[in-house]
Amino acid sequence: MERLSRRSFVKIAGAATGAAALAAAPPIARAAIGEEGAQPTDPTAGVPEEPVVAYVRDAERGEVSIAAGTAEHTYRDRALVQRLLRTAGRKGVS
Amino acid sequence: MSSHREAPAISQDPVADNADTYAFVSPDDPTTVTIITNYVPLEGPPGGPNFFEFGDDVLYSVYVDNDGDALPEIEYQFRFRTTLQNEDTFLYNTGPIRSLTDPNWNKRQLYSVSVIRSAGPAEVLANDLACPPCNIGPRSTPNYDSLAAAAVHRLPSGETVFAGQRNDGFFVDLGAIFDLGDIREIQNLHLIPSPAGTSVDPLKSLNIHSIALKVPISLLMRDGSVPSDPASAKAVLGIWGGASRRKVQIREGSSTKGSGPWVQVSRLGNPLFNEVIVPVGDKDRWNAVDPIEDVGFEQYVNQPELARLLPVLYPGAFPNLAAYTKDRADLHAILLTGIPGGIVPGFQNFTGPKPADMLRLNVAISPTSSNPNALGVVGGDLAGFPNGRRVFDDVVSIELKAVAGATIPLVDASYTVDGAVGAVSSYLKPGVDRYQTTFPYLGSPHDGFDTPSS
Repeated sequence: MERLSRRSFVKIAGAATGAAALAAAPPIARAAIGEEGAQPTDPTAGVPEEPVVAYVRDAERGEVSIAAGTAEHTYRDRALVQRLLRTAGRKGVS
Repeated sequence: MSSHREAPAISQDPVADNADTYAFVSPDDPTTVTIITNYVPLEGPPGGPNFFEFGDDVLYSVYVDNDGDALPEIEYQFRFRTTLQNEDTFLYNTGPIRSLTDPNWNKRQLYSVSVIRSAGPAEVLANDLACPPCNIGPRSTPNYDSLAAAAVHRLPSGETVFAGQRNDGFFVDLGAIFDLGDIREIQNLHLIPSPAGTSVDPLKSLNIHSIALKVPISLLMRDGSVPSDPASAKAVLGIWGGASRRKVQIREGSSTKGSGPWVQVSRLGNPLFNEVIVPVGDKDRWNAVDPIEDVGFEQYVNQPELARLLPVLYPGAFPNLAAYTKDRADLHAILLTGIPGGIVPGFQNFTGPKPADMLRLNVAISPTSSNPNALGVVGGDLAGFPNGRRVFDDVVSIELKAVAGATIPLVDASYTVDGAVGAVSSYLKPGVDRYQTTFPYLGSPHDGFDTPSS
């Protein structure tokens, strides 16, 4: 859960400085922001230096979290969650 | 210990374990405040060949609240990176290290310093500052003090910084206190008695890694002033340290990469708060949250477990403490809000009603230049703990006495302090090599050759 203290804001603002990986977040995020279903990928998107990590936070609620750079956002995208679960060899949650 | 291995999770992660935090008006430069945060507790001096160091994957922070809201208006950030000069040797150094750029020194750490003010962008104050090596021995680090002195960096922005190995200034009889609250001098009175003995200090031969920061007071105050009135609310700073790790770590082969936001894994304001006040089931949570959220731990201060234990462990010695059932307003003030004016003559470090574990330093109180009392405010020395914390303050004695009831009369005149409180003490006097009179104030670290066991 995102902490809503000023300290959290301070940390994010500070740590983002010089974090090239953060630039990779928007294209990934756009694929999931409030949208059900897959989006075409952008082959020209920048490649981050750090891993971009997506994980299923809550399969029942169709929530996936994406950590990129020094940010993390959680989206509700049941299609993406099902694809991840299928890929992982697990039964998807409808 | 103050906060050495104090919680289950952080005890597994020494490089991120904030073991002590100090904050005081610099005695030799009273227009500045020195803040020290210590990490890597219980370093055995001979611990090579991979001698102790900071974590390259840890974000080290020093927080300053200058308006009493228990949120940081200023955050200093320290990030480290390790370099190898020669990957084809197992040695830390391949000859004597005579300077911070000596080619004989194989494994080095450099660091950056940034500052964030009022949620603005991070401003990088310096990059690639050198740490000193660890103190190895007379062949490897023949003039250690000169190496350490060269690692004191004065920044163009006005701060002075040092990051590296030092002598651990904290002292306590660990072996006794964790043996069911034993104090050797009065263990004949213990529930499981044995003849009275003499306290020992196991930390006297151990090192620590310190991040020391000396800042002009004007850079820390909300209005850029240098307060001179101890009664003024704006003279009090809230200060604490913390360490954070990336939320995600991916191990691949021999490399580890991080991703996602920084997540706090350790913090420390008042000594012994998480160690002694917070129960083990809540210690990891305490480390993960911020002082602004300490209202959730308030009940542990109001009804401290140790105050209930003392009358049990020392039967008959603390009858008044045993009978005292009110919330401990004295401890609440000392640890969570600061002491308001009018309680201790000439002193206050009140930051407002918001309960938060921070060191509270009244910068308008001048440092005590001659014969400072290690018992701080309890001993009549207003420049010592809980007015911030100096490196030599006997925080174990102070907090033991306070928990045992010594400070209840400050808020409850009807209370009579038990006679045994006078016997509650650390009974330790740290040696003269433990500290130094100039920045970074903690003494030179023990070398591994002359301190082969600890």
